Amino acid sequence: MKLQDLKTTLDYFHSEINRIETMAGTLSTTEREHFNRLSNFDNRDLMEMAIEEQTAARQLGTVKEICLAMAQKIEGMKAAIDQGEITGSLDHD
Amino acid sequence: MINFVANWIRSIANETLDKTLTRLVKDQYIENLFELVPAAKKVNPINLVELAMRASQGTPVPRPLGSHIHFSPWEKILFNPVHLFRFPTPENVGIRTSVTIGHRTRKPLTISIPVMIAAMSFGGALSKNAKIALAKAATLAGTATNSGEAGLLKEEREAAQLFIGQYNRGGWLNSPEKYRLLDAIEIQLGQGAQGSTYQRTTAKNIGEDYQEVFGLKDGEDALIHSRLPGVNTKDEFIELVHRLRHETGVPVGLKIAASHYLEKELQIALEAGVDFITLDGAEGGTHGGSPTLEDDVGLPTMFALTRAVAFLTKKRAFGEVNLIATGGFVTPGQMLKALAIGADAVYIGTAAVLALVSEQLLETMPLEPPTSLVVYTGKLTDSLDIDKGAKCLLRYLNACAREMEQVAVSLGKTALADVSKSDLCCLDPFIAKSTGIELGYIAPENQGRFFGEINDFDLNQTQTSHTLDSGQH
Repeated sequence: MKLQDLKTTLDYFHSEINRIETMAGTLSTTEREHFNRLSNFDNRDLMEMAIEEQTAARQLGTVKEICLAMAQKIEGMKAAIDQGEITGSLDHD
Repeated sequence: MINFVANWIRSIANETLDKTLTRLVKDQYIENLFELVPAAKKVNPINLVELAMRASQGTPVPRPLGSHIHFSPWEKILFNPVHLFRFPTPENVGIRTSVTIGHRTRKPLTISIPVMIAAMSFGGALSKNAKIALAKAATLAGTATNSGEAGLLKEEREAAQLFIGQYNRGGWLNSPEKYRLLDAIEIQLGQGAQGSTYQRTTAKNIGEDYQEVFGLKDGEDALIHSRLPGVNTKDEFIELVHRLRHETGVPVGLKIAASHYLEKELQIALEAGVDFITLDGAEGGTHGGSPTLEDDVGLPTMFALTRAVAFLTKKRAFGEVNLIATGGFVTPGQMLKALAIGADAVYIGTAAVLALVSEQLLETMPLEPPTSLVVYTGKLTDSLDIDKGAKCLLRYLNACAREMEQVAVSLGKTALADVSKSDLCCLDPFIAKSTGIELGYIAPENQGRFFGEINDFDLNQTQTSHTLDSGQH
């Protein structure tokens, strides 16, 4: 793999991770709203679902944080390539 | 007929009570059963029964769930809500609750809430069903559970999305084919409830599944050594941490029973390059430790944590090396206070087990204690409903996280990790002085003056008393 190909791949990862981050954030907000609406009813089953929605909202928040951390790492790698800190061919025979 | 029997019982009860009260008042103490009341108050009921147990058994009494003494005065610390000085967080803003442990590693561990299930071993402590239920609840909540000092229980590993395993003093999880299946490795050198003493489970309490998971032969006891096998010097510990980090890429941490040697122990942990440190305070629970180890050994969780935070800050390692606090956490308020002081996450053990069995207590009561549903040697372990228990624990974890989020909103924060010591005030001058949390009785700008006056007061008192002493001589 050539450096330019690696950089293109990293660009692709970065773009997709940003998309996943946005989706996770949006879904997390939706799940939180579901919790609010479901917990309005005085029903044990609906309350169980509300709690699961709230837990899901937190886990989607975690996915968002992980994506953010990964995007930062990829940014770091791209910057290293641009500054010439990673050089040469990455071919493996 | 029923009325007749009821009246008859009522009249017997009345007569008996009358006679008992009369005897209590008329008899001298030496002939009086009431003697037990002041006696029990003098030695306290727990000590009285444990004294009798020691007298009967002649061996240390294994008390479950740890010390009953509340060493850490969490109730002396309060959060400071904001209104105008800083505004509370709007209700449509989600509070971030996730934490990453070992961010420097190849495979960091990210949990969705800063509360994890503490180390409670299969066999040595809990039944297989209980371990699976804990793992399921942790997975549902997006957090991690811990193996405790045991071998690799496959069912637990499969049920746990995030699984921290203890590289332990029994040696049962210490081979590469086992520890490579873990999401984080915690090198266990001690625990709050037992210090660093050895522990033995006798062969008569070891079943076939226990033998299989621990790799024990028929008739062989399970022995937890006081030292980690192969680690008799500081350099051997450092080499072990390096090897585990290199081989696995997961966060590698150290768990110790907190003590007054804390800074010396932490210095070696930092030299070894651990990714996280688990501090188990004197309040830490256990399946069964001797009362002396539980009540009289170690350092309370709160002070262990404040000292560790101060030490890591001084060494510029705060934030680089994660701190996990454990020992005695029951309420979300206590947990959030620990996070505010500087812990990245907390472990809960006793509280998790109690939440797990909370809806199934009637299965055991009144003839057996609730722990008989979950303890490996308990009589009712087969009766534990795994899914029901897991759901109860999930609800407890969710409620805890929600209560912590509510406080964060009131503090004007958007992440639990942003809650800090500055969000706290303290109601005890000694705790304020030792922890660095401001004293709530005094305005922030007068804190120094107050402690200065106290010092002057102490000094004057000392000088006066010296003068008086000299005069007397």
